[in-house]
Amino acid sequence: MNIREWDKKISKKEKNRKSFGPVFVVYILLAFIILFTYSSLNLKNIDYGYKMQELISKTKVLNEEIDKLKAVRANLLNLDRVEKIVTQKLRYQHPKPEQFIKVFEE
Amino acid sequence: MTIKGTLKINKSERNRTFIVFTFFGIWMLIIVVFLIKLQVFNYEKYTARIKAQSNRIFKLHPKRGTIYDVHGEILAISVKTKSLFLSNKNKDQSLALFKQLKKKISLTYKKQRDIFKRIKKGRNFIWIKRKLSEREFLRLSKIKKNKDYKSVIDYIEEYKRVYPQRQLASHIVGGVGIDEQGLSGIEYELNSDIIGKGGKVEVLTDAKHRVFDLKYIDKPIPGKDIYLTIDNSVQYFVEKELSRVVKTQNAKGGTVIVMNSETGTILAMASYPFFNPERISKTNKNVIKNKAISFRYDPGSTFKVILAASALENDICYPQQVFNCYNGVYKIRDRTIYDVHPYAKLSFEDIIIYSSNIGAALIGQKIGKRKYYNSIKEFGFGAKSGIKLPGEEKGTLHPLKKWSSVSIAYLSHGYEVIVTPIQMIRSFNVIASGGYLIKPVIIDRISGIQNIDKEKVKIMDRSTLQRISSIMTDVVNIGTGKKTKIAGIDIAGKTGTAKKVKGKKYRKIYVSSFGGFFPAKNPKITMFVVIDEPKNQFYGGDVAAPLFKSIAEKLLIYLRIFPELDEKNEVRI
Repeated sequence: MNIREWDKKISKKEKNRKSFGPVFVVYILLAFIILFTYSSLNLKNIDYGYKMQELISKTKVLNEEIDKLKAVRANLLNLDRVEKIVTQKLRYQHPKPEQFIKVFEE
Repeated sequence: MTIKGTLKINKSERNRTFIVFTFFGIWMLIIVVFLIKLQVFNYEKYTARIKAQSNRIFKLHPKRGTIYDVHGEILAISVKTKSLFLSNKNKDQSLALFKQLKKKISLTYKKQRDIFKRIKKGRNFIWIKRKLSEREFLRLSKIKKNKDYKSVIDYIEEYKRVYPQRQLASHIVGGVGIDEQGLSGIEYELNSDIIGKGGKVEVLTDAKHRVFDLKYIDKPIPGKDIYLTIDNSVQYFVEKELSRVVKTQNAKGGTVIVMNSETGTILAMASYPFFNPERISKTNKNVIKNKAISFRYDPGSTFKVILAASALENDICYPQQVFNCYNGVYKIRDRTIYDVHPYAKLSFEDIIIYSSNIGAALIGQKIGKRKYYNSIKEFGFGAKSGIKLPGEEKGTLHPLKKWSSVSIAYLSHGYEVIVTPIQMIRSFNVIASGGYLIKPVIIDRISGIQNIDKEKVKIMDRSTLQRISSIMTDVVNIGTGKKTKIAGIDIAGKTGTAKKVKGKKYRKIYVSSFGGFFPAKNPKITMFVVIDEPKNQFYGGDVAAPLFKSIAEKLLIYLRIFPELDEKNEVRI
C-alpha cells in the first residue's frame, strides 16, 4: 500500500466519523421527542385520572346532598305541618259542606 | 508526519471511549442487578409493601331503598350521617374530652354512664353517639378542630333512616334498627329487596394519598325503591279522623282500611295508636302491631252480610221471606239469643237492615252447617288474606266437626268466629267488586317494576250481589247505619257491635265496626272501620258509622266522586 492509498483510506474513515456525529444527534433528538411526547401524554392521562376521581367523589357527595334535600322537602311537605300552618298561622278554616260548589260540564 | 499524528489521536480517543463505555457498562450492570433483585427476587415483598401503602380496601355499605306512596311522596329515605367514636389511648384525656362532648350532644344518663365505664375499663374503641343530627355535628366541629383531640375522636359515615312524614302510615312502612335492619312493616317484609348488597372497593392512592383509581372487588347493589299503593293524602285524613273518634269515644284503639273496590289496592290503612318509626326501639310492641291485619275479634253483626250472601247464593231464602223473631228472646238448647230491639216478625231483608240476631240465627239454621261453613271459607275467613305485610293473623274458623248444636246460630250473627279487619274488608269487597275475592295489594311497584302478584277468584253470582247490595244500601238509608248517610251518594254498608272476651267470658266491653262501599251502584271505594272498646257509646251505628261517613265525605271530594243530582238539581255533601 502506498502513501496515497493510505491517505485515501484515512480520509474516508475521517469522513465517515464526521458524518456519524449529526446522525447521532438526530437519533437522540428523535428519541427525546418520542419520550417527551409519551411522558407528557401519560402525565395528562394521570391528570385526567385525578380529575375523574375527584368528579366521581363530588357526584357521590352531591347525590347524598340531593337525598338530604329530598328528605328536607318531604319534611316541609308533611301534611300535619302544612295543615298547622294553614289553620293556625294563616287562620284558614275547613270549608263547610254548603261551601262546596260543583260546576257540571255540559 | 500526517500519518503518525492521525494515528496518535485515534488511539487516545479509543482509550477514552473504552473507559467511558466500561464505566457506564458497569454502572448499567449494577442498576440491572439491583432491578432484577427488586423486581424478580423480592417482587412479592415489595409489591405487598406498596399495596399496603397505596391500596386500601374499603367495605361499601349499600344505600337502603326509598319507600314512596303511590304518587312518589317519600315515606322513608336513607341519608348519610356521621357517627362519633372515641379512640381511648389515654384515659384521663378521654374522660376530659367526654365531659366536653356530653354538653354538645344529647345522651341519656344511662348511655353517659355506660361510656364512662368503658373509658375507665380502657376499651380502645368506644361509640359516643351513632347517627348524629346535623346540629350535633356542627356543635362538635370546634372540639374536632382542637389539635389535642384530633386523633382521639373521629367520625364514621353511616346511613340513617329518616321518616319525613313521621307517624303517617307508620304501621305500613314500619321501622328499622340501629344497623338499618327492618323491624316491622314493609321495612321488615321487603327487607331483602330494600337493603341491597354491600360491596368492596380497592382505593389506589399516590404518595400524597390522592385517590387516582378505584377498583371494585365486589360492586355494591343499592336497595330497591318501593312504591306503595297508599295515597299520602287519604292516609292523612283517615288517620286524623280515626284519632279524633278514638279520643272522643275514649276508646282503646281503632283501625280503618280504605280499598279500591275494583283492584283491591289499599289506599289507606290506619291503626290507632300511631307511633314514630324513628323511635321504634323505644315503642311498646303492642303499639307497633298493625291492628288492621292482626286485631282478632268477633265480628258481630257485620258478619250477617256473609250469612245473607250464603242464603241468597244457595237459593235458600228470598228477600221478602218472613221470619218469626220471637219478640226479641229466642231460646236455643240451653242458650238464649236476644235482639236489641224486639221484633215479632221480620222479612229476610229487614233482618239484615235492622240487624236482628234472632232472625240471623233462624236464617243460619235454614242454610245448614256445611253450606254456611263453605260460604265462610269461600269469603276467605280462617286463612290469611295474603297481603304483603308481616304479622298477619288468620283468625279462627273452627272445623265443622268442632261445631256444637248452637254454633250455627252464633256464627250467624258473628260469634264463635274470630276475624281480622283485613279479612272483613276483603269479604265486603266481594260484593263491591262484582263477586270477586281479591287479594289485598299494598305494593304498587318495586324499582319501577309493576307488582303483578294479584289474585282474583269469582265466588258470587251477579244477581245475588245486586240483592245484597240493595239490602246493604237500605241498612244505611233506613236501618242501623243511618248515621253514614250522605245526600246524593248511595252507600251500602253494615254495622256491627260485638262483645269482647276477657277471662274466657263475654264482657260488656265492645268492638264497634262498620263496613261498606260507595257509590253502591258502581262501587269505587270499600272501607272498613273498627273501634276497639269505645267507652262513651258502643253501637257500631253510633261509633263506627259516623267515622265512616266523615272519611267518606272527604274521599268523595278528594277522589272527585260526585253525587247524583235530585229533582231540584241540587246536592250537598
